Amino acid sequence: MTHRFLSHHDLALLAADLVASGTRVIAPVRAADDLEQIDYLPIQKLEDAALGVRVTRRSLKEFFLPPSEVLLQYRQTKEGVEIREVPTVAPPQVILGATPCDVAGLEIVDKVMGWDYRDELWFGRRDATTIVSFLCSVMDHTCFCTAVGLAPDSSRGTDLLLIPVEGGYLANAITPKGKALLQRCPGATDASEAAIAGAEAAQQEARGKIANNLAAIPAEFAGWLASHYDHPVWKTIALRCHGCGACAGVCPTCHCFDIVDEHDSSEEGARRRNWDSCQTSKFTLHASGHNPRQSQSERFRQRIEHKFSIYPTRFGEILCTGCGRCARVCPGGMDLPEIVGNLVALSKAEPEGSAQ
Amino acid sequence: MNIYQPHLMRICEITDETVDTRTLKLEFKDAKIAEQFQFSAGQFGEYSVFGEGESTFCIASPPTRAGYIECSFKATGKVTQALRRLAVGDTLGFRGPYGNHFPIEMMKGHSVVFIAGGIGLAPVRCAIWNVLDLRDQFKDVTIVYGARTVGDLVYKRELEEWAQRSDLKLCLAVDPGGETPDWKGLVARIPTAVEQAVSTAEDTFAVICGPPIMIKFTLPVLTKLGFPGERIYTTLENRMKCGLGKCGRCNIGSTYVCKDGPVFTAEQIKAMPPEF
Repeated sequence: MTHRFLSHHDLALLAADLVASGTRVIAPVRAADDLEQIDYLPIQKLEDAALGVRVTRRSLKEFFLPPSEVLLQYRQTKEGVEIREVPTVAPPQVILGATPCDVAGLEIVDKVMGWDYRDELWFGRRDATTIVSFLCSVMDHTCFCTAVGLAPDSSRGTDLLLIPVEGGYLANAITPKGKALLQRCPGATDASEAAIAGAEAAQQEARGKIANNLAAIPAEFAGWLASHYDHPVWKTIALRCHGCGACAGVCPTCHCFDIVDEHDSSEEGARRRNWDSCQTSKFTLHASGHNPRQSQSERFRQRIEHKFSIYPTRFGEILCTGCGRCARVCPGGMDLPEIVGNLVALSKAEPEGSAQ
Repeated sequence: MNIYQPHLMRICEITDETVDTRTLKLEFKDAKIAEQFQFSAGQFGEYSVFGEGESTFCIASPPTRAGYIECSFKATGKVTQALRRLAVGDTLGFRGPYGNHFPIEMMKGHSVVFIAGGIGLAPVRCAIWNVLDLRDQFKDVTIVYGARTVGDLVYKRELEEWAQRSDLKLCLAVDPGGETPDWKGLVARIPTAVEQAVSTAEDTFAVICGPPIMIKFTLPVLTKLGFPGERIYTTLENRMKCGLGKCGRCNIGSTYVCKDGPVFTAEQIKAMPPEF
């Protein structure tokens, strides 16, 4: 890792250079409908960005797995069907100022997207993207990244990590892509010892701000969940859940999707992939009317099991980055860090419990 | 070509099995794909009607018969109703084959008992023809098949063909009240039919597919006959979209029906959480 120093002006020049070269630059921006809220949006210049204000409303997921995307287009006539493929090579984009939780989420989802069958639409966008993340200093009481093995200064999945210091940023290039981006900054200098020390202090402070939110989830929790599908706790855990799936929409790691055909005209249309959520009753409904997850408690149990047991079992990691968005957005006040904290406590109190 | 893009297939034959169940015989439009296409008994695919969407069914024809595949479906939902509106010569989409398969290789040299209820015969039929097409490589073959009524029995012409064969034992049954005056088979539910038709589990594999309630009451009969859980194979279905382990809806606990299945042993199913 190389420690370089960038002034804010250098970063502004980099953003301008990228935009001028036709690269889409995405950064946290104040939402037009609510200046208190921040969204990831394309910017034209660095001044458009609102860096270090608060956690964005939605994660970075939509830039890799759009809420609705075309998988193929078809034309159907009496003569037959003609399929038009969609490109799997994406135009270049740079994410500037992503929070480390969102960036880590992409690398976590890479595992399922590459599971035996490679999802070229996802990886096409991943390959075309360079990510510049920022040390997170905007956490609130809902954040719990340190409980799931991440941190406000985690470099996981990023290409270039920037840590705000006096007069600019300490820039750590993590990957060749990050290095290449840094080479586009003629003003970059070797970081001074003062800058390195300043960065370390900022990292310490950031970690300190979140460490008490939720204790690290123990490795045994996955096994406890897998063997406690019939625990009575599930009966009451989802009483406040409306099954709306808002949690899945804002989640950086929820990746479940539906595939549907939409007619544009009598002859033409598109097969689309749309975000979906395991919290809706339709999600697992068979055509026969049978539904393996009939009640909201079973559907919420699936959400917890998938994130904290199934994904760890299949892919070796928790399907959650502790960003806290699900708790912030839930209309029913379902608070994931609180719920997981309670379940972990239960798993410790009843290690055998009602194991089936 | 992205992984969600189907191949185009032409419907070359339509067979009505019952009032609401139909079999389509399909050929790949692209000769190169037709030549390369291979699958194993028990695997499934995503069949699509453009403008309506995709639906998941097993491949109902055996891999021993090259050049075409068949699927059998009941017109129940949006896509299956649209599939029913298609005619010979029409085009549909197919992605696959996906999932694991019946252990046909492992069964060679042994006896096999096939048990199916209703349209559950579709995946079992694939395995049956696979075995019958290689008949001399297996010992005894027994087929126990039943439905609610005589009218609900599928693949009737093949049932007649199997009844004529001397190298297999066929036991047909319909539920009490489902028989017709000229019905020659049993009037019994599947578990009872299995008790009558199967006498030993020795050196024998069991393949079973049908409604959950049928499987639930037949497994104890097989256990009583001496079949260990790991020699009883069944195939599960769940709502699927991708068929590739990504869309996140067919799992039963950490088991993905699309990737780990659809074929499972009774032993594996016993270990699954109560979510199907």
